Amino acid sequence: MKLTLQIWRQENTATSGHYETFEVDQLDSGMSILEMLDRLNEQLIHAGKESVQFESDCRESICGCCGLTVNGRPHGPQPHVTTCMQRLRMFTDGSTVRIEPLRSASFPVLRDLIVDRSPLDRIIAAGGHVAVPAGTAPDPEAMLIDHTHVERALDFAACIGCGACVAACPNGAAALFTGAKVTHLSMLPVPSVERKNRAEHMVATMEENFGPCSQYGECANVCPQEVPLTAIASLQKERLKSFFAARI
Amino acid sequence: MSTTASDAGTTPPGVSVPELPPAFQVSKREQKTLPNWALKVAMAITGTFGALFLVLHLVGNLKVYTGAEHFNDYALWLRHVGEPLIPANGVIWILRCALALCLLVHVTCGVLIWTRGRAARGKFPAKRNNGFRSVGATLMPFTGCALLVFIVFHILDLTLGTQPIATADFQDHTETAAFAYQNLVADFSRPWAAAIYLVMMALLSVHLAHGLFTVVSDLGAVGKRLRAILIAIGGLLALAILLGNASIPLAVQLGVLK
Ligand code: HEM
Ligand code: SF4
Ligand code: FES
Repeated sequence: MKLTLQIWRQENTATSGHYETFEVDQLDSGMSILEMLDRLNEQLIHAGKESVQFESDCRESICGCCGLTVNGRPHGPQPHVTTCMQRLRMFTDGSTVRIEPLRSASFPVLRDLIVDRSPLDRIIAAGGHVAVPAGTAPDPEAMLIDHTHVERALDFAACIGCGACVAACPNGAAALFTGAKVTHLSMLPVPSVERKNRAEHMVATMEENFGPCSQYGECANVCPQEVPLTAIASLQKERLKSFFAARI
Repeated sequence: MSTTASDAGTTPPGVSVPELPPAFQVSKREQKTLPNWALKVAMAITGTFGALFLVLHLVGNLKVYTGAEHFNDYALWLRHVGEPLIPANGVIWILRCALALCLLVHVTCGVLIWTRGRAARGKFPAKRNNGFRSVGATLMPFTGCALLVFIVFHILDLTLGTQPIATADFQDHTETAAFAYQNLVADFSRPWAAAIYLVMMALLSVHLAHGLFTVVSDLGAVGKRLRAILIAIGGLLALAILLGNASIPLAVQLGVLK
């Protein structure tokens, strides 16, 4: 199949970018969007031109670094699928596909399709980890946790930090991302010890770089890990609990 | 167990955090004094208070179907409820002040949330792939502004009877008699006035349909069943307020209420 690509080119954060149009031929409908970009880059390198810069690592929905905006939708036309797993069969032969970076004021473009998502790292650094001394591994069954409860906690732990939720949000909010991490840790016995400080610090750091949540629901609609909107309610709940927690 | 919970906000050793890009940062002062999570809670509380008032208002309005005498008696009762413990018009003025305060807080927070959201998104078009939910959220500031104008219009029209918005034969209530029924029928007999109320009830219910959905998350309801029940109640309230109130101008236009 053949596609016309409109791709965002930008030298660096300081310069302004533009779309550049390319034709790519002899594509297979089973190829992923990233494999199509690889094909394009081979052509560009052959022609002695600068290749299109984009990020990728695992190419199997694990690492979260590949997010692009494809035809105005973070990750691409298929809901809940990372860019690396989106197949070209989603497009009709001969059509034009627009590819740009994840868009948000908090994600400055570093080059072409690569953005700086470090504001998300800052949120995790503010409390998305276990800082209590957990000691040596407890005896088996010394601390019983209901199996379905653990499974639910792990559903929130599934976030891969891709940043698509931020790019999808008309408010540039990172509530789904932060909510997923805060909820996951609040549901498990050892990390929940720190929940009050965690909610306070992670929400404060989140608000330094991201917008408020108005419940558009766009985030959960693109999230490749299907983190539900409940994560955002849970974030508010944890923050409120932290606010009302007795301080002596 | 000894915990170092107070360390939770510090970066663990060995983790280096990249320098913050200058792209988008909210000032620390703004963030400390009026954080978004608190603005959202304030909006949820004031919005819910408004919605509960609207339910009471609806119940009162529906008394119009019980006849002129009953409706006018109710209007008079509102002004004397609680007497002699509370002076005449006391309850109604307490309610008016509370509502005005709620509106002030609600609108202020709404403006802040909206402007902060635009700034955080940057100069990129908003994406709308989430159907009705997303459209409802997008419309909030617009339905909100329409409501603000309508609230002023509605008070001039049916409370104060100010010309030229009110009808020429608007009668203010006296110590012993109210004419709410006559005023209402005369008002809604004008097709343009009936149309304004119908359109506004539609916009109000769009505002409430998304607003009451938002409240559930803003106040932190996480349980599956609890969320489902609260979301259903919110939707039903929005629908009831639309159908109940809109029926009145329609009934006048159709000649059911005279
Ligand atoms: C009849 C009066 C009103 C009622 C009953 C009402 C009700 C509500 C409710 C329940 C919410 C959800 C609050 C939350 O949880 O965040 C809401 C949100 C909102 N309201 Fe109102 N409202 C009213 C009037 C207004 C007015 C006059 C404005 C502004 C001019 C306004 C602007 C907004 C905005 C912008 C939001 C969305 C906030 C966000 O993005 O999260 N509302 N309203
Ligand atoms: S919540 Fe979903 S969309 Fe957001 S960063 Fe995590 S995996 Fe990506
Ligand atoms: S490349 Fe790792 S998730 Fe797409």
